[in-house]
Amino acid sequence: MRSFTSNFKNKLRLPRLFFRKPLPSESVHGGPPLEYERPIPQQPWRGIAVIVVLVVIAATAAWEFYSRSIGYAPTLNDNEDLWTLARRKVKPESIVIIGDSRAWFDVDLDEIQKGLGKQPVQLAMPGSCGYPVLADLAKDENFHGTIICSVVPRLFFAPPGTPPMERGEKAVRRFHAQTLAQRASQYLAMPLEERVAFLKQEELTLDDFLKRLPIPNRPGALVPPRLPPYFGTIDRERRARMIEECARPGSELAKQIQQIWIPLFTPPPPPTYIPKEQFMAKMMEAIEDRFRDTIAAVEKIRARGGKVVFVRLPHSGGLKDLEGRVTPRAQTWDPLLKRTGVPGIHFQDFPELAGFNCPEWSHLSAGDSVEFTRRLVPHLRAALQM
Amino acid sequence: MLFNSLTFVVFFVVVVTTYWSIRSWHVRKNFLVAASYIFYGAWNPPFAALLFSTTAMDFWLGRQIGKAKDRQSRRGWLVASVCMNLSMLGFFKYGNFLLQNFQWLLARIGIIYQPPHLDILLPVGISFYTFHSLSYTLDIYRGVLQPTKSLRDFILAVSFFPQLVAGPIVRAGDFLPQLVRPPSLRAGQFLWGLLLMTMGLFEKIVLADMMLSGAADRVFSYGGPLIAVDSWLGVIAFAGQIFFDFAGYSSCAIGAALCLGFHLKDNFRFPYAAIGFSDFWRRWHISLSTFLRDYLYIPLGGNQVPALRAATNLVIVMFLGGLWHGAAWTFVVWGLLHGSYLVIERVCRVLFEHKPWANNLGTRAMAGFATYVAVCIAWVFFRASDFTIAARMLRGMFGGHAHADAILSTREMSQIVLVTIGMIVAHWSLRDSNIETAAQRFPRWVVTAAWAFMACAIIFTQGNSNAFIYFQF
Repeated sequence: MRSFTSNFKNKLRLPRLFFRKPLPSESVHGGPPLEYERPIPQQPWRGIAVIVVLVVIAATAAWEFYSRSIGYAPTLNDNEDLWTLARRKVKPESIVIIGDSRAWFDVDLDEIQKGLGKQPVQLAMPGSCGYPVLADLAKDENFHGTIICSVVPRLFFAPPGTPPMERGEKAVRRFHAQTLAQRASQYLAMPLEERVAFLKQEELTLDDFLKRLPIPNRPGALVPPRLPPYFGTIDRERRARMIEECARPGSELAKQIQQIWIPLFTPPPPPTYIPKEQFMAKMMEAIEDRFRDTIAAVEKIRARGGKVVFVRLPHSGGLKDLEGRVTPRAQTWDPLLKRTGVPGIHFQDFPELAGFNCPEWSHLSAGDSVEFTRRLVPHLRAALQM
Repeated sequence: MLFNSLTFVVFFVVVVTTYWSIRSWHVRKNFLVAASYIFYGAWNPPFAALLFSTTAMDFWLGRQIGKAKDRQSRRGWLVASVCMNLSMLGFFKYGNFLLQNFQWLLARIGIIYQPPHLDILLPVGISFYTFHSLSYTLDIYRGVLQPTKSLRDFILAVSFFPQLVAGPIVRAGDFLPQLVRPPSLRAGQFLWGLLLMTMGLFEKIVLADMMLSGAADRVFSYGGPLIAVDSWLGVIAFAGQIFFDFAGYSSCAIGAALCLGFHLKDNFRFPYAAIGFSDFWRRWHISLSTFLRDYLYIPLGGNQVPALRAATNLVIVMFLGGLWHGAAWTFVVWGLLHGSYLVIERVCRVLFEHKPWANNLGTRAMAGFATYVAVCIAWVFFRASDFTIAARMLRGMFGGHAHADAILSTREMSQIVLVTIGMIVAHWSLRDSNIETAAQRFPRWVVTAAWAFMACAIIFTQGNSNAFIYFQF
């Protein structure tokens, strides 16, 4: 008896039956009856499937248990689809928060609502430049609301093609081109992410575990710096909260993150393939372009009756020193306000805002963010002439 | 709707459950048509109307070809079908490309022309479903297929959701006969289909996206010169990524079709174990290469013409194959490179085929290695978004940069090497066999462990619902 495999091979070698003229009995569709059937390997498939299902359930449960045991809690993934969900909530007169992760962690949405009278829409994204979102809102002819834009100079003036810009642009693109299927996937994913701790795209994936392997790199290899581990949760309004473990003074997690900010905020050396002067000239040109584009976007929003305010949010420790050195206020924040004519609130200018300590040097704890926002509101009202 | 998305998981469970619960074969087919249009419309609902209009036109034209008495009118109707399909493809896929090239040509003769930018959105899978549909009228014209009487069946043959957007290119003549009698639900076939889907998702999510795509993207998007090791590893990573991405999609499509009782042919047969380029094209994207062979190469004369003409035909076919992949000259160069590889191979065959050493193990191994390297070199043009990047990559690969950077981490390099070695070993060990034979030969505990491992790896990798590379084509 021939095995199914040899039969399969013979079938493959057979000339295609439909190349001959079909018999009348076969001509329902003009073709012969089924000429090709995929072979099915002979295995006890039902038993195999039952064992696979049991193993997968057990492994998933074990992974979930492990994730929770090392401090992870269920939270949403902050991806472009969640951002798009928030972007859809922007009404013509909305208060919109844009910028980087400091606006995400430090600005409490409920306090803003209490102080400014409207529920704000949180569109800030960690590690991103606020400009693409500012430009998108400027293009939106219907929008004439209020924009609170957090400025971290190293992110806000990031040149095109760099990760901070790409993050913002990607989210804006998704908002304009999101398919029904992507939207449905987001609605299906949220209830799962709110209940399952290991569902964290940037944290508890196999990829992330491989990245954490302590494998030394070649000397001189231009490898991107590490990103910080999980230290916050986010809800459907994109309201971020620092986790207790990180907020605890002197915690190991906070110390670990502090050491990650330093290489992340340190400018990489100029590329070897462009003369240094040429590279610096290009960087200056990119910064100048950002000034020009920001002025244009702000003017468009203002022309429609909208308002914009820039905010510089607290940061502390070694990161504050580093930012002060790399992106001095006199070359970034001050000219931004002067050239755009936009009001700004720098936390260091007001004693009631300057006294906060960031546990991991860059963001406020959940409790401090409420108090900080309460103190920020009068300044916002003044800047926005509300 | 992407196979690697939660929406598809829910969609598939609902479709499979409902499909097998329906008794009437006609109702089942109607249901599959509705499901396929929902699957497609989930990207952009208006494009479902475009898909329907193309299909309906080909159905009607197929009938006209079937009814026509003389060769002349048959040919006329066929030309109408080809023009209709290719003009759709031309407008949506090549509109801006043609305008840009027209502008460039005018500029050469001193005419400055600023064409309007056509804001054309490319309908997902248009290259695939155009070929699904076109195969129908071509086969009727060739007299190997008679027109179907059922518009619904033809709509299903073109739009059957597993193969709709990224292949395999299933010819109407292969699919329509499967719509005559209802398939029966068989546990082995259904579960094997699920295993193929798991394998396809594993290839896409774990191997292509997690293990390889990061390094390939970084290498190809790096603005400066790279050292040879990083350049080669970037290209090798892309060679693996595109295989796992596309073969993964094909496996998912074949598996999903099996779960519904339909049989689609293989689209890949361990291509990186190819010895020579004709062998490579018998193993890579088989549904496209056989489509081009049957409907283009053979009508041009195939091998039955003088050698020079046959070589020209090969180059023409591969040129069009390259252009089919995308509206850019880099794809054309990729196609032309493969065309010239095929011509060189033919010359080598004529010169050396009968030499005593031609078929020994060493020669075959060297030929296999040379094929892989040449295919990788061609991938540079496929992946690079322009010729500047392609040129920089090629210079890097052959050590042409005096001062160059290393950008890959040791982890990324290890991942590329491990996955590539694993892939090549698997391809060579299965090159004369198939996955079904392997699955049957392995002890059941190995099959169980492999299936469970792949399923767990998919869940733990999570993925980001990255689109399959071939969706853009």
